[in-house]
Amino acid sequence: MGVAFDTLRQYLHMKSATIFLFAATTLTITAKPDGVQLFTTNCSACHLLDQMVVGPSLVEMRELYNGKPDDFVKWSIEPQKKRPDAIEMPSMVHVGDEGLRAIYEHVMKVSKGVQEKQQQSGDPFADSPVQAKRPQVQRIFMPDAGPAAIAVALDDGLSLCWDAGECRLRYSWNGGFIDGFPYWKGNGSSLAKILGEIRYVEKESPFPDSEQHKFYGYRIEEGLPIFKYRLGERMFTESFSPMLGGGGFSRHFTTSPLSPGPLELDFPSDQSVEYGSDKGTWTGSKLKLTSAEAAVFTINILFK
Amino acid sequence: MKICFLLSILAFPLTASAWTEDFTFEKIPNPQGIDSQVGGMDTLKDGRIAVAFHRGEVMFYDPSSKSWSLFASGLQEPLGMLVDDDGSILVMQRAELTRLRDTDGDGTADEYETVFDDFGMTGNYHEFAYGPARDKEGNLYIALGIASNGAPMAEEIRGEFSEIGKANREEMTNRATWGKNKGKAGRMYARAPWRGWVLKISPDGSKMEPFASGFRSPNGIGFDAAGRLLITDNQGDWRPTSPLYDVKKGGFYGHPASLVWAEDWDGRDPLSIDAKELDEMQEPPVGYFPQGELANSPTWPVIVPAGVLPEAMVGQTLIGEMNQPNLVRVLDDEVDGVYQTALVPMFDGSPLDKGNNRIAFGKDGSMYIGKTHLSWAGDTGIVRIKWNGKSFPAIEKIKAVPGGFALRFTEKIDPETLSTIKVESNTYKYHKNYGSPKVDVQQMEVRDAKLLEDGRTATLDLGGLKEGYLHAIDMTGLRTTDGKPLLGKKAWYQMVKAPK
Repeated sequence: MGVAFDTLRQYLHMKSATIFLFAATTLTITAKPDGVQLFTTNCSACHLLDQMVVGPSLVEMRELYNGKPDDFVKWSIEPQKKRPDAIEMPSMVHVGDEGLRAIYEHVMKVSKGVQEKQQQSGDPFADSPVQAKRPQVQRIFMPDAGPAAIAVALDDGLSLCWDAGECRLRYSWNGGFIDGFPYWKGNGSSLAKILGEIRYVEKESPFPDSEQHKFYGYRIEEGLPIFKYRLGERMFTESFSPMLGGGGFSRHFTTSPLSPGPLELDFPSDQSVEYGSDKGTWTGSKLKLTSAEAAVFTINILFK
Repeated sequence: MKICFLLSILAFPLTASAWTEDFTFEKIPNPQGIDSQVGGMDTLKDGRIAVAFHRGEVMFYDPSSKSWSLFASGLQEPLGMLVDDDGSILVMQRAELTRLRDTDGDGTADEYETVFDDFGMTGNYHEFAYGPARDKEGNLYIALGIASNGAPMAEEIRGEFSEIGKANREEMTNRATWGKNKGKAGRMYARAPWRGWVLKISPDGSKMEPFASGFRSPNGIGFDAAGRLLITDNQGDWRPTSPLYDVKKGGFYGHPASLVWAEDWDGRDPLSIDAKELDEMQEPPVGYFPQGELANSPTWPVIVPAGVLPEAMVGQTLIGEMNQPNLVRVLDDEVDGVYQTALVPMFDGSPLDKGNNRIAFGKDGSMYIGKTHLSWAGDTGIVRIKWNGKSFPAIEKIKAVPGGFALRFTEKIDPETLSTIKVESNTYKYHKNYGSPKVDVQQMEVRDAKLLEDGRTATLDLGGLKEGYLHAIDMTGLRTTDGKPLLGKKAWYQMVKAPK
């Protein structure tokens, strides 16, 4: 009776006539493994009746396996990666052959005649007032950056990726900002997509002592971040402003060294941009700043 | 006759929804255009509820106007929040513990200070970061989830790469060959520093002490009223069913992947160590949530404040649950100084439903339950629950006594129904496989069930209790003197230590 009771509770949403039928059936087969209970225990976190969540719906399982219990059992014991966007199921070998067959029966029974719910295509929150705001700061997994990257939209046309894990700018792009939906729709197993064209990549930090870095966070002013970090013995703040028309951007630095000294920056020699600054002396893509100049300076990166 | 029998069974579920007699359940309006999966929640001094959402917004809900305001945005998967005394808000996000401050008083955060980020990330989706919990001295505790072999590592990682393991770095990273190599990675892996650890961080974030290891997906970390650091974890490999731990400094809590970061680790691949050896190293759970019955994915522990539930439950611990439609009450017990618990469903069969990830309390005695799914089974949005202030029938306390249990209820029990109590015991297998079926399931004989003079305390003579076993006490048939069934009909008591 205990088993039947538990079973019935799962079926409260069904019509009473169905409950009677079902109850009558289970009362006579209590010796067999309880497919409903086994499903709840082992499967329900990832498989819903009529829509894909982590794994496919019961409706889809029915399409795949109806009349093929052996295939169902085989797959459950030795699952493989089948869907590029989904993670692979752990093996259900511990449930046992009989248990898996009971789950199979349950799945086939409850999915019979049910239609797959129409999946919403695209991001249901694409018009989020928070995400649509410019400027914008968003931490998310980004392509071609470390896992502690921060995406920043300076305005409608220019964005950049700043890596808090290494305390440095990684790249910037023209066009839209990011599509975070591939990451947000699930549990974070996909990267955000860049909407636009990459215009500048900084393969390595132009600063000395960049391996000894520590990130302190950022302040927001007028919606834009001012990053605060330390490289070696020098504290930095770094902020950005876009150039009109998405033609490039300026990077504003303040530094406060523990012991004063000149600062030498070594930018990647990049044919697609033109470097400039309000202070210091350039030799090719190298910039030399005196101790006094290094206190506050601006670097301009102009897309060619 | 058969029809009558079935009808009598059907009568049970109808009374199971009796939670609505004593509690109101109300879905509060979601902020417009926001993915309302909740990762962090706490209460501001002025009574507003601070909520951190899936896409990184931190918003305040004002219960008096039922309106939302935006405080901060742009965080990555916040999974824990603590409102500090000075009004700043600590939020744990994937990459760091962050302090949000409104320094110019305009109602939005302008400072996103990195309090602590000195831990590794492989870029794997399953490396969730949880916390903080704060002790009496102000130290902060965070818990770091480990990676899943559902996906490889990213090419760029933060922190050192541990070479310990069957798969080398190239194999751990290469997406094209992952299908072939994932078996070598282990079901879950911890190849970057402090994954699977609880870290203790000084109040200003400047010092860190590796506090305890052995965690898998510890989506719940908080101090209970007695000052114990309680952490929940999720069923999976090395987790026969979801456990509750009382975490002590230096303890190892069962999932071996994290051991590669132990200070004096001998360099062995922990995933190939014999389960028996690991079993001897591990600290036992103080509670077990049986999978599929009570919880599949337990969440955050909180302390029940005054006014939210009856006096006898104030100070008890409540825990959320993502995959089953209920919360969980923790009933504390102690045997010879050993802490252990009985876990009882709360709001099962109520309109609460699934996804219950975070819990906060309003100044008016209401409870706010924030939901999430992260593409697993769950839900979105926030449910507000308010008690009507009246007593309701429930189990209040369970004490292990030599030979059996003493049970105290909130109301007087009909002695005629005492004999319906059933007790079943089982244990689990500790192994690398994903979950464990119940092992050695036995119906325990209730030799005697007596009601004491107060009418609401019962003793069960079971002829002995089993150390290391989960004792499921089924009180479905129990009725109060006015014929009501209990709210929360089953209790699962994990017998770490049996009284002699």
